[in-house]
Amino acid sequence: MSWINTIFIFGLIGIMTVAGNSISYPFPASEAAIGYLIMMAITIIGMALGKVIPIKLPMVFWISVIALLSTSPVSPWAKSVTYYTSKVDFLAICTPILAYAGLSVGKDLDQFKKMSWRIVVVALAVYTGTFLMSTAIAQIMLKFEGLI
Amino acid sequence: MSVLKDWKIHLSALIIVVICEMIGTRKIQMGPGVLLFLPMLYAMVIGGIVSWPKLKLINLKEMNAASAVLGLTTFMLVTKLGVIIGPSLGKVAQSGVALSMQELGHFLGTVVLGLPLALLLGLGRESVGATFSIDREPNIAIISEKYGLSSPEGRGVMSVYICGTLFGAVWLGLLAGYLAALKIFHPYALAMGAGVGSGSMMAAASGAIKAVFPEYANEILLYAGAANLMTTVFGIYFCLFVSLPLTEYLYKVLSPILGRSESKGGRAI
Repeated sequence: MSWINTIFIFGLIGIMTVAGNSISYPFPASEAAIGYLIMMAITIIGMALGKVIPIKLPMVFWISVIALLSTSPVSPWAKSVTYYTSKVDFLAICTPILAYAGLSVGKDLDQFKKMSWRIVVVALAVYTGTFLMSTAIAQIMLKFEGLI
Repeated sequence: MSVLKDWKIHLSALIIVVICEMIGTRKIQMGPGVLLFLPMLYAMVIGGIVSWPKLKLINLKEMNAASAVLGLTTFMLVTKLGVIIGPSLGKVAQSGVALSMQELGHFLGTVVLGLPLALLLGLGRESVGATFSIDREPNIAIISEKYGLSSPEGRGVMSVYICGTLFGAVWLGLLAGYLAALKIFHPYALAMGAGVGSGSMMAAASGAIKAVFPEYANEILLYAGAANLMTTVFGIYFCLFVSLPLTEYLYKVLSPILGRSESKGGRAI
C-alpha cells in the first residue's frame, strides 16, 4: 500500500474514531482529533522506521518504541502528548477496527463452511486456554511479587 | 486514488461505527457473571452481516480491501497502548517477571489444554498446527516454512486462524468480560491474560475487562498492552524454539494413547 493511501486510510479511520468517541465519551471532538492526529503521526513514523531499519523485528515493535518514547519522561512533549491522546478512548479505536474485521468476514466463509465442527471446538479451546492460563500465571506471579 | 474505489467499505464502516456507539454498552446478567456487549462486538457482527456473500452487498475485492485496512488500523491500537505505557514504564518494569512468564501461559493454554482435546476429537497431524500457538499471522509463517500450508499441519493452523478471524474477538470479549465479572482474578492479571498477541482479540478482551473495572482502566490497558507487545516480539521465538518442538514431542507421546489409531492420518478437517 502506498504512503498516500496509508495516510488517507488513517484519516478515514480518524473520522470514524473521533465520531464514535464523541458519541460515547465526554471528550471534546477537537481535542480528540488532535490526539488522533498525534497518534497517527507516531504510527506513521514507526512504520517508516520499520521499513528503514534493517533489523528484522515486527513493525509493531517500532511503532511501540516511538509511542512509548513520546510519552516517557525523556520526551519534551510527554505532557501534551499524554493529554491529547488520552482524549481518544481505547474502545473508540476498537469499534472501527472490528467493523473492518466484520466487513472482511465474507471472504473466509467458504473455507469455514468446509471445516469440521471438531476444529471449531479446538479453536475455541485454544483461545480460551491461552487467556485462562496466562491470566492464572499472571495472577500467581503478581501475587508472588507482592504487586497485587 | 485506489482507496476511493472501495468507498462502499469505508462508508459502511462509518455507518456501523456510529450505529454501534449509539447503541452503547449493554450488560446481561448470566449466572454469577455478566455478559458484556460492547459497541465493537456489534460492529463485528453487523460488519459480518454486511459482508455475508449471499446478500451481495460487497464483493470479494472489497472484502480483501477491508482486510488490508484492518491490518493498518491495528497499528493505531498499538500506538494508543504505547502512549499509555510511556509514562508508567517503571511500573511495567516492576512486573517484568510476571510479564516474562506470559509465554508459558500461552503454551500451557494452547498445547497442554488444546492438544489432548484435538486428539480426543480424532484430529491427526492437524492438531500440531492447530494447537502449538494461537495461530495468528506470525505463527502461520512458522508452520508454512516448516511443513508447508497444504500439509495437515498447515490445514490445522489455517483452520484455527480462520476461526480466530471469524469469532475470536467476540468469543474472547464475552469470555473476558464474564471472567472479570466473577472477580476471581485481579484486573491486572486479567489484563496480562488479554494480551494474547492478536490485536482484535486483545482489544475485545481488555475492553471488556476495562468496562468491568473502570476504576483500573489505565492500568488494565497498560498491562494488556505490555503483555501483547511481549508476545508479539518474543512470542514468535518462543513458538519456534519451545512450543512447536514440545507440541511435536507431546503429539508423539499422546497420539497412541488418545488418538484414534484406525485413522492414522486423522480425520479430514
